[in-house]
Amino acid sequence: MNTKRLETSRLFHRFGFGPRPGEYSQALKDGVDATRIRLTTAPATQTTISPIALPEITDLGKRPEPNTPEVVPFAIAMRTQEQQMGLWWLDMMALSDHGLTERMTWFWHGHWATSIQKLNYPLPMFNQNKTLRAQSLGNFNTMVKAMLNDGALQLWLDGQDSTAKAPNENLGRELMELFVLGVNRYTEDDVKAISRALTGYQVVRSTGLVSINQGRRDANPVTLLGTTASFTGDSLSDFLVARDDCATFIAERLWYRFISSTEPMPATFSAKSAFATRDISAAIKAMAADPSMQDLKYALVKSPVEWFISACRALELTPSKLQTPTQLASYLDKLGQVPFNPPNVGGWPAGEAWLSSATAQYRLAFAAWLIKQSNLDFLNQIPRDSRVLKSADWLGVPEWSARTQSALRTALDDPTQFTLLALCSPEYIVSA
Amino acid sequence: MDTISRRKFLKLTTGAVAVGTAANFLTLDEIAEAAINRPLAAGTPILVVVTLYGGNDGLNTVIPFKDPVYFSSRPSISYAAETMLPLDAELALNPSMGGMKSLWDQKKVAIIRGVGYPKPDHSHFSSMAKWQSASPEKHISSGWLGRWLDSQPEDPMLAISLGSVLPPMLAGNRISGSALPLGGLVIPKGTFAAQCIQLSKPARADSKLMAAAATSMRNLFSVSSSIQPVLKSPPPVAVDLPTVNGGNAGGDSNLSQQLDVVAKLIAAGSPTKVWSVSLGGFDTHANEANAQATLLGVVSSGITRFMSQLKSTTRSNDVTVVVYSEFGRRVKANASQGTDHGTSGPMFVIGETVKGGFYGDQPSLSKLIDGDLAVTTDFRDVYATILESVLKSPAEQSLGKWTGRTQFMKAV
Repeated sequence: MNTKRLETSRLFHRFGFGPRPGEYSQALKDGVDATRIRLTTAPATQTTISPIALPEITDLGKRPEPNTPEVVPFAIAMRTQEQQMGLWWLDMMALSDHGLTERMTWFWHGHWATSIQKLNYPLPMFNQNKTLRAQSLGNFNTMVKAMLNDGALQLWLDGQDSTAKAPNENLGRELMELFVLGVNRYTEDDVKAISRALTGYQVVRSTGLVSINQGRRDANPVTLLGTTASFTGDSLSDFLVARDDCATFIAERLWYRFISSTEPMPATFSAKSAFATRDISAAIKAMAADPSMQDLKYALVKSPVEWFISACRALELTPSKLQTPTQLASYLDKLGQVPFNPPNVGGWPAGEAWLSSATAQYRLAFAAWLIKQSNLDFLNQIPRDSRVLKSADWLGVPEWSARTQSALRTALDDPTQFTLLALCSPEYIVSA
Repeated sequence: MDTISRRKFLKLTTGAVAVGTAANFLTLDEIAEAAINRPLAAGTPILVVVTLYGGNDGLNTVIPFKDPVYFSSRPSISYAAETMLPLDAELALNPSMGGMKSLWDQKKVAIIRGVGYPKPDHSHFSSMAKWQSASPEKHISSGWLGRWLDSQPEDPMLAISLGSVLPPMLAGNRISGSALPLGGLVIPKGTFAAQCIQLSKPARADSKLMAAAATSMRNLFSVSSSIQPVLKSPPPVAVDLPTVNGGNAGGDSNLSQQLDVVAKLIAAGSPTKVWSVSLGGFDTHANEANAQATLLGVVSSGITRFMSQLKSTTRSNDVTVVVYSEFGRRVKANASQGTDHGTSGPMFVIGETVKGGFYGDQPSLSKLIDGDLAVTTDFRDVYATILESVLKSPAEQSLGKWTGRTQFMKAV
């Protein structure tokens, strides 16, 4: 396979949500180095191809008593805001001129996986999303400090119920296991110690506003990972993030989501050393230039949202304008991935988990529904006889296999069917 | 009604499971192949676990219909005595459970009353985690049947859950059960089918993942063609059980579909000893009576049809069905014609080799604990008996040195 096409394809599909029509061909002309620098350097301000209004996510206040007349407007407002928030984010992913920031926000959402199902209020989730976006390419220590003060995360992991009298271990354990250090890089005594240090947070459910209640906080020194100290949230973050295990763990997570969920991370993976200063952007840039980016061994399955957004970009569709939003939500749910709604605190699965016969069938139905709503301008401009090869450039696919070329040739006179087969081909479902 | 869906439970209870051991997804194709190549030995016992998510109101399932406290505690959601289906002088089944009543009359149903665990937890998530892990004192991430799987030779077909998410019950420390997603597969036809088949052929240059993507689409067609006559055929004909309220006519609830697939796969000889199916929607905080009756009707007719389908196979004597929920509900109705989260509830065990009848004491309505029913039987008594008398395995690997038993199975 042509390495230049492979690397360029990976840059578009893994560091963003896929190319818009024409972008992949242009990038091939620009060369891999220029494309890598452009796609992994986020612009100072995010622009979108068409304006996206911020959703109105408000404080819905206390939940009304059951069976009172106030319940109905409350429930309607809740549902509307949740839907608006979800569509807004999908629009951001599909319409952003530069994909990296949204791609990183999406990565971090899966990392600090928090679900609206338990929170039951959109505003704290919306605030968390803003925090993740603002910190997505910044310093990891700053991100951890911000997340300890994030109401959605605190509510999700029962931080608001954790007091000096009765520390709750949910947040402390996950902070070490899933967010900063990785599993087995601490002991059960460390879990007890960190949980004591993390007591006293209180959260307003409807807004996610966090405060510290000194009366509920255990300010006594604890012995954590061999160090005895009286920690605050900030000093705890400084302490954990400075550990070598943190660099190893974040490199592992980047490897898993951007390079390969099936092959182990080599010790030489350059994102790890680049993360020495805990600068996320530096790790991303190093990862994009790592030799693994040219190695065919490291294919990656697009998750349902990644596949859907890349299709929207190719078909020039706006998620919030699809008819109907309920139908869209149903397809994403059937494929098993709804933003703001990860299955558990470990985030979404990867790899072959997305490749069952059931998802193959839903993907066909989903793609057919999307294609119906696009006028397929770009494909229609490609002369019939060069459609098979040129469609690989359109979708940012390095190359079609002979198998897929044969299938596409059976649909040369039917652009709708042609697109359906292309979007559901193994070469498009998987980033080569 | 704040309906808590099954998905929601699983999402909040699977943490360690889904992170550590990703669910093994099976296709019907793989199961059918295994059924043909290495069918379950004749006479091997099979367990079918039915989980009712949301907290089924036990008092409106097995109803103390002679107790005035029942009627006075919940005037708006108690059923009229004459519509209930009496089981003995004091207890009656919910009016919608005609099928279950006929199985009871044939002595094929054991009802274990007042089942729960010490210090009942009123959270759906915590309580379901306790039931599924069989560890009420301490949170652990493996399930009671997952630990049983740990003790068995490794085989992805041994325990199968219908649906796309593996319940924690089937997660072991070493081995986990498999999930069989029920998509209601709609297979492309005609030219489109030919195109999809072409698109999903193996290609020489395919990476492992692209090959898997191709296989996943190709399986859609192999399911419908060669290996699948068993699954495509209509359910076996019922032989002796009466039809119930039109329930046998098909009521398209998902539980019925799940049980239909299980019946077919059992008939086909799938090498599976444990099946898990479920129904959600039991969190009846408001307007309970009709909603719960509808759901219990689905449970009753689904299981009745399942048992009658098995009748026409050689395995009807091998299958035992167990039904449970994470908790019962408050005795006193709330202000919205519903009930809030409670404690103990009845479990049902159904099968040809079950000793029909009541087990465990009926919790008294006049001796409540903080407004809730007492727990009279620990669910581990029931699990231990299932492990020993149904699965013919020691209970210890799943339950440690738990000594309680409830002898609801016929001695063999």
